[in-house]
Amino acid sequence: MPRLSIDGREMSVPEGTTVIRAAEELGIYIPRYCYHPGLSIAGNCRICLVEVEKANKLQIACNMVVAEGMVVHTRSDKAEEGRRAVLEFLLANHPLDCPVCDQSGECDLQDFYMNFGLYNPRFREHKVKKQKAVALGPHVMLDQERCILCSRCVRFTDEITKTGEFGIFKRGDRAELGLYPGVMLDNPYSANVVDICPVGALTERDFRFKARVWYLSSAPSLCNGCSQGCNIDVHYMLDRPHLNDGARLVRVKPRYNPNVNEWWLCDAGRYGLGWVDQGRLDKVRGPSGDADASWDRALTAIAAALKRSSEGEDGAGGGGGTRIGVIASAKLTNEELFLIREIFQGALGARISASVPEKPGSNDDFLIKADKNPNTMGATLLGLAGPDAPDAAHLVDEALAGNLDVLWVLGHDLLELFGEGKVRELPEKVGLFVFSGTNENPTAALAHWVLPGAAYLEKDGTFVNCHGRVQRIGRAFPPPAGSREDWRVLLELARRLGLALDWAEPREIFQGLAEAVAPFAGLSYETIGAQGAEVVAPELPAGAAAS
Amino acid sequence: MLSDLEDKAREVLLRYEYPKAAMLPLLWLVQENQGCVSPEAEAWVGRQLGVSIAQVREAVSFYHMFHTRPAGRRELRVCTSLPCRLRGADELLEGIKQRLQIGPGETTPGGEVTLTEVECLCACEMAPMAQLDERFVGPLESEAVASITQDALSEPGSPESTPEPDPFISSDGPVLSTRFQDPDGTWFEAYVANGGYVAAKKALTSMTPAQVIDEVSRAKLRGLGGAGFPTGKKWSFIPKETTKPKYLVVNADEGEPGTFKDRYIMERDPHALLEGMIISAYAIGSHKAYVYVRGEYFESARRLQRAIGEAHSRGWLGKDIQGTGFDLEVVIHSGAGAYICGEETALLTSLEGGKGFPRLKPPFPAVSGLFGCPTIVNNVETLACVPFILREGAGRFAGLGTDTQGGTRLFCVCGHVARPGVYEASVGVTLRELIEGYALGMRDGNRLKAVIPGGISAKILTASEIDVTMDFDSLMAAGSMAGSGGVIVMDETTCIIDALESAARFFADESCGQCSPCREGTGWVHRIMRRITEGRGQLKDVDELLAVADDMEGKTICVFADAAAWPVQSYITKFRDEFEEYIRTGRKARHTEAA
Repeated sequence: MPRLSIDGREMSVPEGTTVIRAAEELGIYIPRYCYHPGLSIAGNCRICLVEVEKANKLQIACNMVVAEGMVVHTRSDKAEEGRRAVLEFLLANHPLDCPVCDQSGECDLQDFYMNFGLYNPRFREHKVKKQKAVALGPHVMLDQERCILCSRCVRFTDEITKTGEFGIFKRGDRAELGLYPGVMLDNPYSANVVDICPVGALTERDFRFKARVWYLSSAPSLCNGCSQGCNIDVHYMLDRPHLNDGARLVRVKPRYNPNVNEWWLCDAGRYGLGWVDQGRLDKVRGPSGDADASWDRALTAIAAALKRSSEGEDGAGGGGGTRIGVIASAKLTNEELFLIREIFQGALGARISASVPEKPGSNDDFLIKADKNPNTMGATLLGLAGPDAPDAAHLVDEALAGNLDVLWVLGHDLLELFGEGKVRELPEKVGLFVFSGTNENPTAALAHWVLPGAAYLEKDGTFVNCHGRVQRIGRAFPPPAGSREDWRVLLELARRLGLALDWAEPREIFQGLAEAVAPFAGLSYETIGAQGAEVVAPELPAGAAAS
Repeated sequence: MLSDLEDKAREVLLRYEYPKAAMLPLLWLVQENQGCVSPEAEAWVGRQLGVSIAQVREAVSFYHMFHTRPAGRRELRVCTSLPCRLRGADELLEGIKQRLQIGPGETTPGGEVTLTEVECLCACEMAPMAQLDERFVGPLESEAVASITQDALSEPGSPESTPEPDPFISSDGPVLSTRFQDPDGTWFEAYVANGGYVAAKKALTSMTPAQVIDEVSRAKLRGLGGAGFPTGKKWSFIPKETTKPKYLVVNADEGEPGTFKDRYIMERDPHALLEGMIISAYAIGSHKAYVYVRGEYFESARRLQRAIGEAHSRGWLGKDIQGTGFDLEVVIHSGAGAYICGEETALLTSLEGGKGFPRLKPPFPAVSGLFGCPTIVNNVETLACVPFILREGAGRFAGLGTDTQGGTRLFCVCGHVARPGVYEASVGVTLRELIEGYALGMRDGNRLKAVIPGGISAKILTASEIDVTMDFDSLMAAGSMAGSGGVIVMDETTCIIDALESAARFFADESCGQCSPCREGTGWVHRIMRRITEGRGQLKDVDELLAVADDMEGKTICVFADAAAWPVQSYITKFRDEFEEYIRTGRKARHTEAA
């Protein structure tokens, strides 16, 4: 453990640590363009120059490995002078078109100039002309003039995706970033290059000229596109609907989590959340002709039907819950699945399953998993999914055979899963067919009652990813008026059924879950934190962790 | 047809440990067969090497000798770097343009010839010069301008009317030039008759590697590529305990403007280099050596290949050399037009098939060099000194030089001297002796104005500073550097502003573009200089040039940016009045006294 001092503060760090990382541990941020912790060291931008005593030249902190007794100054006159020089060079041929650049406001060139540069520009020559507004693929736009040739994107496609699309062609100040003519930047992770581009050279086509970044609010959340559970930040805008066709969600950025996705996110996840603002269910719909459908009437009707089925009229002759079926979803939170288990299985004795015959999606050996549900593992740990769980297909067959009084489907499109011919008969075969979900689908059209649900970004809760990591969603913004979170609906239903569930919100439901379900023992929203926690699962159900 | 080249490609790939290293040879193969590197060829090369097409395009666009579109049947490369410019390159290019009726980068309508303006071809002894296909010609003055144009328009292979260059090349020895008499080269029998391979035999049969290194250290041999690092010490950095293969890489990427010595070693005494390589390889425990020859040195590569063939057939290369059990294979690797590849780590990156980007240090090549293995990179001239040291003794070699640097070196004197040429002299010779004695003084009886003593990167010296001796330490003490031994002499007719514009253009053209201070700084300096020479200078430009140069210094991966800054700093510091006068009057200040 070499000891060193940075800006007069002593520390010791493990052998092999670089100065830029050691400084970070002290909270000293050394500016960087080419350095990225997820990529190899290039050392070309030179902005991280620091003064190291006994070295005759300034050293780059990204490549300088600490040594015993090293004395580093990051803000000495010599270091600041070096950085000023480097910034001036980087800006010499930069177009300085910040007013029309999407990166403006989150640009390291802008920020470091304000933080570390602040010199009077001297460059009076003609700037080198290069190509602008080059569409590289479905998601990424290139401006060669803004590029500072840090090579982060080149290293990303060489080292992370190993697709090798990018190159830096020519040399000297004619050097330019680009793709080989005819090559498209369309690998499944292409938009990550926008995130790692420190300037406005690579921008998102989807975000192009949509909004200034300082109009955006940000909330930490998870991607629900597959069972990997990549951590994301949701960037949204509630007060400028005219800028984004009324959509609240503006863009999605990966959020660093060393245990899940590091710095990265696949394009399918990043651009897979359009449904949050489109085609949403936002009104309770009742049996045809019921013009006054409301949450109150719906829940009253459903509670009555459930009671009737489980206890019979006036508490006699009921099916003891076995004539109630619930097809839950691995897209629901643990809290909601737990409530479903407690209310339907525990209190009513109903038959429930979150195990549906979905076709596996695309997958790779990096982040993309074939299971496109974010919480299959949570459902499995709760006994609602996995090989030992009851099969939803069986419930559908039971319903069609007339053996169910109530069928409640959460989110799924049964027509797609089980075939149109079969499912069309359901409304006649069961007494009460309830659909709750976020978006319009053909199954909703058949249901007696349709309950508009909140999207996962609109509610608190947790998912367990395919590696057994429980993570919080975090509510970014409220659901549309008229929609309600499933947990809230379930709690209200429990109240109407006279069940003693005295939880008021997801945090409390999770406490109940942690006490009742062994793998979650000892966990709370506090211990899960922003980066998640391993569930205590001595033996994860076989096959549950696979893809 | 590209598919017809597959067999040859396989042969090329066999020479290298990793396929990507065959990038430049395969691109050359394609260009030689198809006249250019087409997009189809880029894809083909990518498939042969197993690399992305983007990496192939990176190389094609980085190295200036590759054509991406069909070019003329011949190519005429006209050098307009400083040494040629001092002797009339601008007029030469103008004359050729008028006669061919095309500009640089263009091909004659009949497809006869493509005209290319190039940076220094390192043949400044024949300035102003050009290269027609593979042949160097010069000086191209008066009627030679017409004859080179005529040659350029003729079919490849037809008799040339431009006379063979006949510059002065020292052959007096004592170390490096003793076998330089014959322009056609010294071949195996003559080399052996002249004491050749005695030193290698001695090393391989009677010395340990440590003893060889010790001998070279005691000879005070220093790296003659320009850095002056003690050679024996460098060899001693090779890790003793390593299971990795070790490589010897010869830096024959001669490119420093004003330098033209390694070409004469390779073309006139190639076995001296090979013998030096055998000894060096033995000392460091290497069994594979690469010689990285600059792309324009076609003839050097050819002659070196011939010498390798001779050495192989006489048991001096290959398996079990002379029955000693020592093996050594030598592969010649041709560059493709990039000055930066003379920087040793850029050379290694280039040899591995990448753009010539210098590498972060540490690790140093001796620990992790070619293909991540311990590697020693030595200059041609450095290695050519080694046989002499072992044959004649370290003491004799050391005695030829100064206290801190042994031996002689090949000084390249060009510019406004009466007799440009290659002169072997003790490293203790003074700059005055080189100019006034060896090179017979100034041309036309003009007065000396300034000298660049060690290639274009070295700081300029005024006429009053030439009593310095030419060894590394003395020139450093004098505020300049011995560098590559390229002495560029300027007389009183020289416009120092034009000279700096030329140097600035060279550095802007040749910056690899990796580090921001160099990429942007070299271009910035050149644009200011061009503006000044176009008559749009402002007095504040002078201080701005100095400020930009200072900002470039000491902030980059390699010393190219420093080398680009030194001319700016030294020309302006020593000739500031001339700069200001030029800007004020918009005229060239002829006959200005050195400050």
